[in-house]
Amino acid sequence: MKTGKLTRLALLTTVALIIFVVELQIPNPFPIPGVKLGLANVVTVYAVYHYHAREVFLVVLARILLGSFFGGNMLALLYSLAGGMLCLAGMLLLRRVLSEKYIWICSVLGAVFHNLGQTIVACLIAGWGMLLYFPFLLVSGCLAGAFTGGCAQLVTKRMKNTPAA
Amino acid sequence: MKWKKWPFFLVGALLALGVVGSVLVLQRPDTNLVEVVRDGEVLYQFDLARAEDQVVEVEYEGRINTIEIRDHQIHMREADCPDQTCVHMGWLDSAAPIVCLPNHLVIRFVQDDGELDGVAG
Repeated sequence: MKTGKLTRLALLTTVALIIFVVELQIPNPFPIPGVKLGLANVVTVYAVYHYHAREVFLVVLARILLGSFFGGNMLALLYSLAGGMLCLAGMLLLRRVLSEKYIWICSVLGAVFHNLGQTIVACLIAGWGMLLYFPFLLVSGCLAGAFTGGCAQLVTKRMKNTPAA
Repeated sequence: MKWKKWPFFLVGALLALGVVGSVLVLQRPDTNLVEVVRDGEVLYQFDLARAEDQVVEVEYEGRINTIEIRDHQIHMREADCPDQTCVHMGWLDSAAPIVCLPNHLVIRFVQDDGELDGVAG
């Protein structure tokens, strides 16, 4: 891996991690397990459209692992990992059919994939009753995904004007 | 892709599905029977219509969950976990169970006919 590439990926990971930690400080008004804004997804969505699958995978994996260290919530690691990986796989596939103009839709569907991964892990741990939470997650995933996707779209627009991006 | 609008409809459909599903789940089931379950094993069963006010402690790997029944309602009063989601969920009043994922604890309504619906591990 070229040093330049490595640096950029490291920067992406850092930005995602900072966003993640800042978001942890925002109190969650919805007492439903698994519902959150997922702002760090902005970085993932952006990276999906600008880097190779392998590179995005590294960024996301590093963010999830370090994120649960910093967050001090190792119990959530399993959920983040299942959700994050499914979300990434889904978005990498969607990248082939959705142009960058539709990046927010890719983000919405990615968020839904994330919720699907979480729900599957929750079902394995706490039984099939957890499936009842999926509708809530679906609604929150669509809204949060649209928001983070919109942010990613803004980022993409700004980055185009920056040299050496 | 010939039909260019399909992504919008997909997102709309998912959102609609979520809203309809949420409304369905939020209905209170027609039963007063509540059970406390961990890993598919029923720890307690209460008939909320008749249960007296009480506090029950459940331990899991050294962490304690305190379940309280008051005025024929049940909720998680305290939990030894970092997220406290189950405590914030308040009183059980819909088909969606109160869950403490870190401690594998679920409080949910069960149908009255004596059969425990879907005790799956």
